[in-house]
Amino acid sequence: MLLDLILLAPFAAALVGGLLYLYDPQARREKIYSIIALTPVLLGAVLSLVIGWSFIFGETTHIESTLFEWLHVGDLRIALTLSVDRLSMVMLFFVTFVGALIHIYSAGYMSGDSGYGKFFAYLNLFMASMLLLILADNPVIMFIGWELVGLCSYLLIGFYYREEAAIPAANKAFIVNRIGDFVFIMGVALLFVTVGVNGFGFTAIEASITKIDTAMLSLIGLLLFVGAMGKSAQIPLYVWLPDAMAGPTPVSALIHAATMVTAGVYMVARFDFLYSRIPGVGEFIAVIGIASALLAAVIASYQSDIKKILAYSTVSQLGYMFAAVGVGAYSAGLFHVFTHAFFKALLFLGAGAIIIALSHEQNIFRMGGLRKDSRLLYYTMLIATFSIAGIPPFAGFFSKDAILVSLLSTGHYTLWSLATFGVFLTSYYMFRLFFAVFHARSYGFRVLKPLPLTMTVPLVVLAVGTATLGLLGVGGTFGNFLGLADIHAEADHTIEYLLAIFNLFVVAAGAGLAYRLFAQEAEPPNEESRVRRLLVHKFYIDEIYGYVFVKPLYFIASFTGNLIDHKVLGRMILLGVEGYRRAGEGFGKLQNGRVRFYTLYMLVGISYISYYLLSILGGI
Amino acid sequence: MVEYLYFVISLLSVLGGASLLLLLTHREGDDLYRLNHISVLFLVVALFAALMQWNLGTRGYLLEGLFGKVLYIDDFALLFDTMFITGTIMTLLINTEYFANRRYFNGEYFALILFSLFGMMLLAHSHELVTAFIALEIASLSVYALVGYHKNNLVSIEAMMKYFTLGSIGGILFLLGSVIIFAATGSTELGAIAQYTHKGSADLTPVIIGATFIMIAVMFKIGAVPFHAWVLDVYEGAPFPVTMFMASTFKIAIFAIALRLYIVDFVPMHGTWTHLLELMAALTMLGGSWLAITQKSLKRMLAGSSIVHSGYMLIAITSIGLGSNIAASAIIFYLIAYFVSSVGAFGILSFISATSRKELTYDDFKGFSERRPYMAAMMAVFMLSLAGFPSTIGFLGKFYIFTAAIESGEFFLAGLGIAMAFVSVYYYFKLIAMIYFYPNKEPQKELVFNSSTLLIILLAAVVVLGGMGSGLIPYMPSADGFIDIATAAVGALGTPLR
Repeated sequence: MLLDLILLAPFAAALVGGLLYLYDPQARREKIYSIIALTPVLLGAVLSLVIGWSFIFGETTHIESTLFEWLHVGDLRIALTLSVDRLSMVMLFFVTFVGALIHIYSAGYMSGDSGYGKFFAYLNLFMASMLLLILADNPVIMFIGWELVGLCSYLLIGFYYREEAAIPAANKAFIVNRIGDFVFIMGVALLFVTVGVNGFGFTAIEASITKIDTAMLSLIGLLLFVGAMGKSAQIPLYVWLPDAMAGPTPVSALIHAATMVTAGVYMVARFDFLYSRIPGVGEFIAVIGIASALLAAVIASYQSDIKKILAYSTVSQLGYMFAAVGVGAYSAGLFHVFTHAFFKALLFLGAGAIIIALSHEQNIFRMGGLRKDSRLLYYTMLIATFSIAGIPPFAGFFSKDAILVSLLSTGHYTLWSLATFGVFLTSYYMFRLFFAVFHARSYGFRVLKPLPLTMTVPLVVLAVGTATLGLLGVGGTFGNFLGLADIHAEADHTIEYLLAIFNLFVVAAGAGLAYRLFAQEAEPPNEESRVRRLLVHKFYIDEIYGYVFVKPLYFIASFTGNLIDHKVLGRMILLGVEGYRRAGEGFGKLQNGRVRFYTLYMLVGISYISYYLLSILGGI
Repeated sequence: MVEYLYFVISLLSVLGGASLLLLLTHREGDDLYRLNHISVLFLVVALFAALMQWNLGTRGYLLEGLFGKVLYIDDFALLFDTMFITGTIMTLLINTEYFANRRYFNGEYFALILFSLFGMMLLAHSHELVTAFIALEIASLSVYALVGYHKNNLVSIEAMMKYFTLGSIGGILFLLGSVIIFAATGSTELGAIAQYTHKGSADLTPVIIGATFIMIAVMFKIGAVPFHAWVLDVYEGAPFPVTMFMASTFKIAIFAIALRLYIVDFVPMHGTWTHLLELMAALTMLGGSWLAITQKSLKRMLAGSSIVHSGYMLIAITSIGLGSNIAASAIIFYLIAYFVSSVGAFGILSFISATSRKELTYDDFKGFSERRPYMAAMMAVFMLSLAGFPSTIGFLGKFYIFTAAIESGEFFLAGLGIAMAFVSVYYYFKLIAMIYFYPNKEPQKELVFNSSTLLIILLAAVVVLGGMGSGLIPYMPSADGFIDIATAAVGALGTPLR
């Protein structure tokens, strides 16, 4: 019941708000829209707290609720069943909580926009879809949510459809995601075929997973992970996420940082029973994760758009999560998902506030000296930066530390050293951003727009969360609560402490470098040397993709479209049509309106049938 | 005795209504609205009586003490009763405006329609060949008169005469077949015939000859090539409400007896007929679509396309003969689907022609979406369904038929059927294109909510709902519900009652 309400309320709100908007798009009724949109989300946050309470302090370990049977074809029965176990409870908690805060923030941020009602209808639809993804009891329903969040992401990236960059960015996000989704559904289908008919819920799959041989299982695991690559922006499908920043900033915070992009990690953790049987694929996932983390971190170090930097940092942090779940440390990965949701949402909301305050300036090298202008922004962003860089006692420290420990203790020394280098880069580019925005010499005279309360309160709440929630991970509390199929590799506590201290030095080195370079006089990256140009242009990945995939496709499309389709097939079909029409006219001539002819046709028919009967019965 | 009357309430109600209407229509200048309401009242009683008995597993002879084993009741007959009565109610209610605007209509129209309905219902219940013949003639004679109802219109009179002449040949063939069967089996009662044909030892040659003649009569009624030639002229000549009645309701009536005979009594002939049916199905689909693509008048186009639909049903009949399990349910489902969609399509046409005297060609529909946006949307729905577009009931109808064809190994017919469905997209979507892609010159008309529009909207809802999965609305069958109904009706036929 509670679950149904959590899921259906935002769906209903999206419907009502959307219809209200469609009824009269010009009408300005921000208050009604925000009430419609905020009620279900706040309700969801409260209800998920109630559920969380019963999980943590009560005996509950599993809640289930079946809405209706969605599909029934032969042996295939797919019910729309919602279920919460500890894993999805954690997801549920932060999605509703961060979601609610970002909804409140958006009420202020979007104020005055002509598409206010549309925005909240989309945002509510996104919340509902994300919850469907999380609460789904079987991969098929999960896939529905998976597709719906992709759709919402597309709609919201293209929200400012009048801007030049928005529509290509939205298309890019959708198309790249579709590539992943297609492979994902192939994985789900393969899983269905191999699992057989004993039900297709996650528990049922877990029960019959031993029937599948390892090679097939590896293939399924790989296919599913390609889906995660798309949704969670990993190499090679990460290219859509930086462009997705064309959407409104709260959207970037909610969808492209805190919730949707972590769906891939969640999916891998959901299938922990599957991936723990195929460590080879897990290694591959971890390698992809670390590669994405490093590549994105390097690119982020040479960007100057504040949202792009944050987007690349999201790719990078997601890489860490995949590295963790790849080596089998599911709870470490999930813990980073959890803390990341808070500090990354805070970073984006802070960035959004800065952008609004500076009248839509996004270049960090044209900001500078904001420390004096807004204490609130300064301290909240400082907390977030500390957290993502990994400075105790802020949340990011604990989760990132857990990932590094798990990499080391499972014996992945190369990955660990690369990840540590990534920590250095993270610290460098985040403090680069921070110093350039808040410390560096002020860039000209300006008047900051005042921020409404709806925007500042979420910032403070998220900052408190970022500062404190990391403590949940102390002593493995978080991981024990989740109870996932973690790999068992206990590291010596001395090594853990030494590692933490070592990491602190790495972070300090990165921060120090950033301080030296950007704290006083922030200069945008120049393009003097060939290497630098390569970095500023993001390794020309987009251009390479353009040449390798897009251009040939265009060529094939225009070839088939203009030549084969138009000239060959089209002509043939027209010829056939003409022939058929002629035949019709000829046949129509028989229809001459004279009864004697009609009788004749009947007699011919009767004669033929009689002849036929004779030939069968009489043996002529 | 009296308790058996319960089962004949619907038949009695229709017959009583028809007789009463005859008595009421002695004056000039009858109040047509009032007569219309009286007919609908009787029909609603009949409909409820039929629905009450549906799916109770009732099987048995009607009034056996009085008539012997002549009339029979089972779910199969009840399903056809329901469709006939619904179709008649639709015909009467949707065309309320039509006959009010035509001078030549008077009260006998209603009596004739009800008598025709009575004949059809009797046909569905008949369990004996002579009774079936009489029932068929009751229904047909009323329709002949209805076709020529516009007595001052030469086209209408010509259509009636053509139909009458050719229909008599069909009737004669039916009677000839019955006689030969009687000569061979010594009975015209279906149970006895079934016993004879299933015995195995008997010489079936005369029965096959007789049955083939009956089949030819059936082919004439459904307009299979080469017995199709009357369809276009008659549909065109008849007044719109009558065309609607014929194309939707009267067209499926013959199946009530044909399927009963074919599935139960004529099982041993299936092998003999296979090639014949295959040939006729192919010819009917091709010929019908050839006729439909060249037409400019919508009435003639729909007449041609109704021949194509007969062709699809012939595919299913062929598949039944080849032992397909689902073909019998498929054909019933197809009948329901075709019935709903064609009632809707013809309903809109006659609803529009009620107030305008145009001939209703494709060109008349240019800009229709702006003149009457809601009606345009409904028309599009019905056209999509007739063409067999997914998420409409017409799609599922075709889907089941092609599945049955493939199940029984009729790959060529299934392929041809699919090809003809593609061709049908041309002449159905041409109308949709006319409706939506041409500018409008006349002002927009308000949607008036009366029985006609409400029924058309209801039909469109059934068409869409019938194309979708499980029941969303209580007591309203959707795709699952309709296929269950079809299966139940076929299941009622089962093995013949001894």
